[in-house]
Amino acid sequence: MSIKSKLQRMKGHLKTEKQADNQDAAHEIKNQINNAETNNKQDNAKKGSDLPEKWEKLDFQPFDFEGETSFQRKVYYPFAGENKTLKSDMESVHTWWNNIEMDHPLSSRDVPLERMMFFDTETTGLSTGAGNSIFLIGYARLLEEGIEVTQHILGDPASEAAFMYGFLQEFSKDDYLVSYNGKSFDWPQVKSRHAFVRERVPKLPAFGHIDLLHAARRLWKHELPSCRLSIVEQEKLSVRRENDTPGSMAPLLYFDYLNEKDPEILSGIIEHNDQDVRSLIKLYAEISKRLNLTYQEGMTAMEHLQIGHWFEQTGSPSRALVHYEKASGLSGSGREKAYHRIGLLLKKEGDINSAKENFLRALAVSSTPFPDSWTELAKIAEHQEKNFSDAYKYSRQALEQLKSSTRLTGGVKKQIEAAEKRVSRLSGKLDGKR
Amino acid sequence: MFGKKSLQELIAELKRDEHVTHWHQIPEEEAKYAPFPEAMNEKIKAALRKRGIDSLYKHQASAFEAVVSGKKNITAVTPTASGKTLCYNLPVIQRILDKPDSRALYLFPTKALAQDQKSEINEFIDEIDVGINSYTYDGDTPANIRQIVRKAGHIVITNPDMLHSAILPHHTKWISLFENLETVVIDELHTYRGVFGSHVANVVRRLKRICKYYGSNPTFICTSATIANPRELSEELTGENVQLIDNNGAPKGKKHFVLYNPPVVNKQLNIRKSSTRVVNEIAANFLKEKIQTIVFSRSRVSVEIILSHLQELVKKELSRKSIRGYRGGYLPNQRREIERSLRSGETVGVVSTNALELGVDIGQLQVCVMNGYPGSVASSWQQAGRAGRRQDESVVIMVANSNPLDQYIFQHPEFFFGGSPETARINKDNLIILVDHLKCAAYELPFERGDSFDGVEVEEILDYLAEERVLHEMKNKWFWMNDAFPAHNISLRSAAQENVVIIDQTYVEKHRVIGEMDTFSALTLLHDEAIYLHEGVQHQVEYLDWDEKKAYVREVDVEYFTDANLAVQLKVLEIDKEKQAGNSMLEYGDMMVTAMATIFKKIKLETFENIGSGPIHLPEQELHTNGIALSFPPEELEDIDEKVLEQILIGIAHVLQHVSCVRVMCDKNDLHAVPEVKAVHSQKPTVFLYDRYPGGIGLSETIFKQMDAIIAEAVDYLYACPCEEGCPSCIGVAGAGDKGNMKKSVRKLLKGCMEN
Repeated sequence: MSIKSKLQRMKGHLKTEKQADNQDAAHEIKNQINNAETNNKQDNAKKGSDLPEKWEKLDFQPFDFEGETSFQRKVYYPFAGENKTLKSDMESVHTWWNNIEMDHPLSSRDVPLERMMFFDTETTGLSTGAGNSIFLIGYARLLEEGIEVTQHILGDPASEAAFMYGFLQEFSKDDYLVSYNGKSFDWPQVKSRHAFVRERVPKLPAFGHIDLLHAARRLWKHELPSCRLSIVEQEKLSVRRENDTPGSMAPLLYFDYLNEKDPEILSGIIEHNDQDVRSLIKLYAEISKRLNLTYQEGMTAMEHLQIGHWFEQTGSPSRALVHYEKASGLSGSGREKAYHRIGLLLKKEGDINSAKENFLRALAVSSTPFPDSWTELAKIAEHQEKNFSDAYKYSRQALEQLKSSTRLTGGVKKQIEAAEKRVSRLSGKLDGKR
Repeated sequence: MFGKKSLQELIAELKRDEHVTHWHQIPEEEAKYAPFPEAMNEKIKAALRKRGIDSLYKHQASAFEAVVSGKKNITAVTPTASGKTLCYNLPVIQRILDKPDSRALYLFPTKALAQDQKSEINEFIDEIDVGINSYTYDGDTPANIRQIVRKAGHIVITNPDMLHSAILPHHTKWISLFENLETVVIDELHTYRGVFGSHVANVVRRLKRICKYYGSNPTFICTSATIANPRELSEELTGENVQLIDNNGAPKGKKHFVLYNPPVVNKQLNIRKSSTRVVNEIAANFLKEKIQTIVFSRSRVSVEIILSHLQELVKKELSRKSIRGYRGGYLPNQRREIERSLRSGETVGVVSTNALELGVDIGQLQVCVMNGYPGSVASSWQQAGRAGRRQDESVVIMVANSNPLDQYIFQHPEFFFGGSPETARINKDNLIILVDHLKCAAYELPFERGDSFDGVEVEEILDYLAEERVLHEMKNKWFWMNDAFPAHNISLRSAAQENVVIIDQTYVEKHRVIGEMDTFSALTLLHDEAIYLHEGVQHQVEYLDWDEKKAYVREVDVEYFTDANLAVQLKVLEIDKEKQAGNSMLEYGDMMVTAMATIFKKIKLETFENIGSGPIHLPEQELHTNGIALSFPPEELEDIDEKVLEQILIGIAHVLQHVSCVRVMCDKNDLHAVPEVKAVHSQKPTVFLYDRYPGGIGLSETIFKQMDAIIAEAVDYLYACPCEEGCPSCIGVAGAGDKGNMKKSVRKLLKGCMEN
């Protein structure tokens, strides 16, 4: 029996690779394209021979390297309308970052504006292994004349050196990447693909990298159902996309392109990538504006709280304090947290009285007080004021509050234990005094 | 007299026991030494001397010279406690001292073994006082350490599963390892057989392919327990020529190996007292004196039964916690904890499946009791090695079951103590396994037309995969073009890819996962109402969610266990080979097997009587595999009533299955036997034997080749069995009654296959 017929017979036992759910959608798109092309049928032998011409229709130029060909294009978006605002926003936040003396993951200090590269890739899968290929690298830069979007296309899997070389030609060590999840996905993937052609192309330069996914998570993980770029765009950047091809369909569309040799199949995903990298510019500006308080449209208490926390962690308590104060002035959930955090900051600075005031405020503004504030009050009463009866009272409050928690997680259990210890210690101290 | 009995006294008592059928004493053996090899680095010599080692055992020195001076691949045959780690650690460290860039990859069959080895080699490296980094790389390695391991690990210690699913598919992150890989160590070689071995052999093919891509060509150092074909197995597994090192020079302590055949309790049926009970009694005698004892039993269920009985028997002397169970299906943390408490002596007794056969460090035990023959000679010696690893007197007691395999072994102790051990087989070209790994290989690196896969022509399969749109052909190269990650869909360990998760819902507020099981076993062990034992605690399956692969169980306290029936149907798809066997026909080829769990019985724990039954409603499972069919001439059997004929065929299937398992060194679960009075393909009375894994793993093919010998052994065995008309030990059922002398009929039919 031939191996092939054996394979056919055993098909039931052979694991088929799971295709993504949107296979049908991908085929639909392909069919639409085919219909639009009105049965412009070609025989298989001819397929692909006119690929460069077809790419040219989408404004992509061939890039030849050692007998391989990749395709690339540059598109300019002049600074008019929305982009004009974007440009001035970027310039002002860039100036701000350059003027403040602070190490911050988002900082673009000492990076010329035109060297910021807003970067995204499209791949043949979501795994990060050696079999996952990048077929589209795109990036946007802010130049004098407008926003420049450059895209490199892997025309076929046997042209990876041309693809990588074309990209490296445009990329220098002074560039600074700005990506969305690029630190754990796109860039490791670029490194992996580069490894396959490393003998033939220059080394990857070392570079700086800002990952805006980390920033978006910082700000919005409590507010948004997920921090996917499309959701952030919709909810926070008021970007509306029409007829967008979802990025999740990229693999299937690329496989179809390889079989059909028709670049038109990829036009949707090329457009998607173009939009993505331009959105990243806006995202960078919008997040920075929220950080430096030039955002006009009204921030949520949660945003202020999260940004304040972030500044605290990056060693900038004064900026944190400003954001906490803003949060405390806004209605809605988060006020008690804001007062509590202010209290903690003041306590650290040694201003015990003001700290106490803020803890009390934290407890006053909420119907479901924050047990930690009681605990802090108890600590102040016990250690600074030596007022054990107050301390006892506060710690009892903390304990009760904790015990009424609806969900007894491990953390809460530990807190309860600690609170019980404090209560019994304080009651001992009180007894001793009597 | 009251008070403690010593091990010697207990041995003396055992010697007087009339049911001991064979007493084999393995004398102490002196060590055979060799001086440090000339080429050995002075730093290593100094470190060894610091440990009080002034010379090597013979086999250690041979291994060193073959690898370092001869640049050869080797397989060292190393019984337990023979210092096998030095067989590979010394050459590897020497190579790194010679060339600081060079790297080594250690493969251990389990994560636990890898952890053990890391501590051992690190201790040694510290003594040499050089900057050699060795790390384990497994699922538990934290992300920040992974970076360091990839870039700077001289010695990377891992398991085949990690190599398969985490290292090879990400080879671009491991360039410095693959560019400089000089040595690959494969420990516990003998465990790589059957399906698992066939998978691992393909992982090695992939490893070699990646090494070649990065320009390295590592040598292989394997170590193996005693099997008949260590060299053949290692050559199959590595695809390289391998030199055998079998001049073991390690000393051995005195060991008593006792065969214990439980008394016959039913003369007519030749039924013996349950081995499980006897094991309980024997083990309890030692445990009562707080002598550290390990009990091996074959199935997970029997482990749990013995555990609960033992805990009961010695509850006066020992707390429940001092006797533990150990088997697959326990979660890793639980296992690590048990291993620790065994080493510390806190745990006095442990009841285990073959999970503890491997070199997991559990320290030194004095007594090993086996509930039944473990299925292979190699396994038996591995288990026996658990007792008295470090040179002092120890005792190993094997208690026979009534089944033919055990009785066969007990009739032929020479097979066990003198004869050649079994052969370990793999079939790395099993089409399904091969296709699986070709996908992984194509994911890792595109194939080029004309490329082979370590010598195997694969273009046809690559074409097939391209047609299936998994690969894309371009400029004579096949590229992976699929959004899946193939290694994640392929498990090296089991035929069934999906496991059933076992969820304990005894406490409403705290459902917890207590274990998992492959789907095929779940058919008969986790059906609705099944009693599932976990750490000696009975659980009843309340609901098996087959679609979601979840079994919900609840703790119960009942006095029975459950036993399920599996109905099997066979279809012959294609005959590849055939030959005459006496008046019968023997065929080998492709078969389709369908299996369905039908009913289960409730069996009382104390008396083993049947106290009820129920249906099982689970979907049929299909298996496409290789098998053999032995068809008997119908004209000779015309006079026999169909019902009787069926019984005779069952008897033949029973005895052939057991003798074949001994021959080809496989578990009874790997090779199934099915009789059919009128087989569809031949219309003749037929007995089938088939590999229980899709595509086959080479068992039936070997049996096809050796059938003459197997039939002869089966006939001898029937002659030697003391029963008169057949018993559960030989033909599986009692032969007396209205059906005539079954044993004679079975023998007659088998003898017909011998006359040429």
